[in-house]
Amino acid sequence: MLTLVGRRILYAIPIAIGVSIVCFSLVYLAPGDPLQLLLPPDAPADAVAMIKHAYGFDRPIPVQYVLWLWRVLHGDFGVSIATRRPVLLEVSGSLYNTCMLTLFAVPIAFVIGYSFGAIAGCFPGKWIDRVVTGTAVMGVSLPNYWVGIVLVIAFSVEIIALPATGMGRGGSAGFNPLVWADAQYMILPVITLAMVPIGILARSTRAAVAEVQGLDFVTTLRAKGLSESAVIRHVLKNAMAPVLAVMGLQFGYLMGGSILIETVFTWPGSGFLLSKSIINRDIPVLQGAILVLAMIFVATNLCVDLLQAMIDPRIRRA
Amino acid sequence: MTLRNGRLGRALSLATAITASALIPAQANAGGGTLTVAMTAGDIPVTAGTPDQGFEGLRFVGFSIYDALVRWDLSHSDKPSDIVPGLATSWDIDPVNHKRWIFHLRDGVKWHDGCPFSADDVIWNFGRMNDQKSPQFYTQQYAFNRGYMTNFDSIEKIDDHTVAINTKFVESLFPYTMSYVVMVSKCRAETLKYDWQAFASTPSGTGPYRVDRFVPHERLELVPNKDYWDKNRIPKQDRMVLLPMPEASTRVAALLSGQVNFVEAPPPDAIPRLKGAGMQIVMNTYPHNWPYILNFVHGPFTDERVRKAANYALNRDDFVDLLGGTAIPDYATMPPTTPYYGHPKLYKYDAERAAALLKEAGCLPCNITLAMSTSGSGQMQPLPMNELLKSQLEAVGFKVDFKVMDWNSLIEIGRSGVVKYENIDGYNGSRALLDPVSALIKPVAKAYWSPAGSNWGHFYSDDTEQTAQAILTEFDPDKRLALLTKLHEEESAHAVMIWVVHDLNPRALSPKVHGFVQSQNWFQDMTPITVDP
Amino acid sequence: MSLTQTAGTAIPAAWNDDGAPSVRVRTYWQSVGVRLRRDEVTLAFGAIVLAIVLVAIFAPALAPFDPYKGSIVGRLKPFGWRGHPLGTDELGRDLLSRLIYGARSSLLMGLVPVVVAMLTGGTLGVIAGFAGKRVNTVIMRMMDVFYAFPSVLLAVAISGAMGGGMLNGMIALSLVFIPALCRIAETATAQVRTLEYIEAARATGAGALTIIRHHVLGNVLGPVFIYASSLVSVAILLASGLSFLGLGIKPPTADWGLMLSTLRDSIYVNPWICALPGAAIFVTSICFNLLSDGIRAAMDVRL
Repeated sequence: MLTLVGRRILYAIPIAIGVSIVCFSLVYLAPGDPLQLLLPPDAPADAVAMIKHAYGFDRPIPVQYVLWLWRVLHGDFGVSIATRRPVLLEVSGSLYNTCMLTLFAVPIAFVIGYSFGAIAGCFPGKWIDRVVTGTAVMGVSLPNYWVGIVLVIAFSVEIIALPATGMGRGGSAGFNPLVWADAQYMILPVITLAMVPIGILARSTRAAVAEVQGLDFVTTLRAKGLSESAVIRHVLKNAMAPVLAVMGLQFGYLMGGSILIETVFTWPGSGFLLSKSIINRDIPVLQGAILVLAMIFVATNLCVDLLQAMIDPRIRRA
Repeated sequence: MTLRNGRLGRALSLATAITASALIPAQANAGGGTLTVAMTAGDIPVTAGTPDQGFEGLRFVGFSIYDALVRWDLSHSDKPSDIVPGLATSWDIDPVNHKRWIFHLRDGVKWHDGCPFSADDVIWNFGRMNDQKSPQFYTQQYAFNRGYMTNFDSIEKIDDHTVAINTKFVESLFPYTMSYVVMVSKCRAETLKYDWQAFASTPSGTGPYRVDRFVPHERLELVPNKDYWDKNRIPKQDRMVLLPMPEASTRVAALLSGQVNFVEAPPPDAIPRLKGAGMQIVMNTYPHNWPYILNFVHGPFTDERVRKAANYALNRDDFVDLLGGTAIPDYATMPPTTPYYGHPKLYKYDAERAAALLKEAGCLPCNITLAMSTSGSGQMQPLPMNELLKSQLEAVGFKVDFKVMDWNSLIEIGRSGVVKYENIDGYNGSRALLDPVSALIKPVAKAYWSPAGSNWGHFYSDDTEQTAQAILTEFDPDKRLALLTKLHEEESAHAVMIWVVHDLNPRALSPKVHGFVQSQNWFQDMTPITVDP
Repeated sequence: MSLTQTAGTAIPAAWNDDGAPSVRVRTYWQSVGVRLRRDEVTLAFGAIVLAIVLVAIFAPALAPFDPYKGSIVGRLKPFGWRGHPLGTDELGRDLLSRLIYGARSSLLMGLVPVVVAMLTGGTLGVIAGFAGKRVNTVIMRMMDVFYAFPSVLLAVAISGAMGGGMLNGMIALSLVFIPALCRIAETATAQVRTLEYIEAARATGAGALTIIRHHVLGNVLGPVFIYASSLVSVAILLASGLSFLGLGIKPPTADWGLMLSTLRDSIYVNPWICALPGAAIFVTSICFNLLSDGIRAAMDVRL
């Protein structure tokens, strides 16, 4: 088991290095000057040169990469061009806000998706299965940012029932999801964010339940005369592991993929930070945010892998 | 509608109740209230001195926390706004050396941290922005102030309350430039050992507001500086909260739901709905225009007749309709309320004349490539407006090819100038015409040819060049005003831009907001505002 | 799995170990045809997809108005205003016509990146699976790197970095899809490579290209095609998302994602009109999803 953990982690290192190269070089594809944010349009050439030098943008790109990586490895992601605040601080603050959404959305999606998927899987081919499968396909085909807009139209424009944007009275500082005054701001984004995972989780649960149903041990249990409800309990328990894995992946996916929904709801999370830094060409923030989000994704995948291996010995040997 | 109002009313009172209980504890006194502003900026403007986010940054953050030597008079809505004394009580030009300005500093001013304001602070601030060897030098502020330091050469202390600023060339309008350069506290910076990031979260200036709470990217909360030197401008509200909300529909939603009570630039389409909900819509003329800046080196616009044709081709009233009356037609660089407006040639809509001019110039169809952004500060509604522009230009014989890009890419074009982008015949960059140098001289004078300055298309003509020179060396205000008027008229005669509209900068205010006077300026005074509970 | 969240379940394992000799492929495709014909749901959604494709192709004939001509007096008008069945948008352009034309860019953005990714990813996968260990390692580790990004993040990062636009959006989406398709092609190739009949073909001196053409492609195309078909709806969603963020198709092109984004500023004037382009995205994406599910079911047969 330990060697497995070691092997998987070792395997993740070259990927992490590759990811860092991609993150770093991505932003140099960008047209335009990263420093136009700072300088007025009619800044003289010597001022431009001075600023380029001060921010280290006058060095060859490979040198910039090595310096950047070196600092990143020491936990220094540089400072934002726009605000001069440390990138790590910017990214961690926004990640916290995104986590707030995903930590509510993913469990909600799990409960709903798993229940419906399980019902469908227990009655394969019946009408309830068709309804659930059909709805699940709709879930995975939804443009979720559109769902967000529709919810805003329904609950914030037509009837002014829920706030449309932001994090409320105090912003993220002091935001308390257990107090209604704050929590009301989360309702629409969390529902929107949960929509796609519900579909995915329902589909994978249905598949897992159907697969377990066909396994020999279920037939044996039935042959032994176990009551149908007891059999189903066994089936559901056995189908849980792969679905939990999917849920873990969903968490990593939503952390990096919430940019559209955060844009719709102006939620000050990591996706919002990302789109802002793209618009502003705030290169250090852009690099840092992409890197951290990709690393979170790599890490969740790794954890899910390892957890699965722990639960299911068959994977361990693979 | 009544139903909706009723709901809104409840929502508003609920929201205010929450805000009140959350932000203003027991000591809440009558009158004041909390003013919550939705800015169009994408982020909280930088708080450590000169802000970013364009003039909106100066409007809400720069001039709230800090003062400059020179201040804009923002107390009237019915007359053009001009500069008045700020941290300097007066200034004059050295009678023998026209490159040396003497600024007499205000006595008895205190920084938010309690230290007294003196000439040393001013000298120190210029070091912070210019002198790379000084300990207080801050790269970001160096960058942000480049546009204001073009003509700054050196500064010296005469006595504790007098400084002299030497300029590189003679510029009679130099004090205008000093209105954008805000002063930060040397005391606080030294206490913080020049940690400018720490300074940004606990700024200290001399302005009418102090920073009470700063949540990066989300909100900045300001409270009145009760010791402000100008007793008339001590803020009448208890608290001003600034929120960045770059998306127009978000700002509307926030106002309707009671999250904010003061909204910058509501989208024209939403104004009827806002009025229906009882909101106040205020707007006023101010020195802004939305033109096309043209290429005078290559392409059709090198021909004055083509430029005139483009100006005759536009029916500007259609643009005003499109914008729901939140703009006025622009026939010359400045809005008509400007003191140096004069009697410029007005290219009123005349499609036949436009077509004839194109024919005369031998440009039919007249192929032009125009660069425009999808959004951006001061760009108003670039997509619909440019669609309209295109249809009107094509109606008289132009063939328009748009290069659509994001705001930063357009800025890059604007900065690099016509030499690098010779195939672009014009770009749609809205302009701040606050001071006469930026408004009139920079677009036409040779000294400002891009990339060194904002004469993007390398315009040159003998008459404008002479007038511009005369303005810069004329220290008599009346004679200078006459010269400025002349330059404005000359620019019209040469059709140096395609003029489209002047924005009226609409704002939407909750009915609970009182006392706001919208001045004819990019900047606004928030201090007289009170908010009902 | 992670890369294509919305694709749902992965390729059935059955596909990878079928190892059918190429002679039997024809009968296999015949049975697929029979299964498809019996699947009414898939046929129905296939018909809708076909209809959307036809609408896109014949847009100029179908659209009642010019999608790029508007009038400022007729802005944001309601359903049925002066012969505009779905009203007008923020520039007074006919919304129905724009929705019809919007099918073009959505289909282009949905199909082109998938085809490009299928060809490049498939080729890379076959090379990796067929060639030796070192080539395999280089190609597959590179794929792993791109696999390490959530798809939305990668698409936004690439397209955003390159400044948006239709071409950059397509490049971004292709890059997002290549790793998954490459992996599938590599697995399928690696599995047949060691089979006896290929060993035999090698022994008789057949060249690598001949072997690939005759023995490998037949086994690789199926899984790659099925997977790619499930990516079309993902591509449509991602592409419209890019346009929505302003990182995809540029105005004034009629594109559903872009229309959703520009109409959003008008939700206080004509709320439900703003939701229409999103509904079009949704319908198209769900039809492609169900069609792909049906094809997968039809092809998922043990021989």
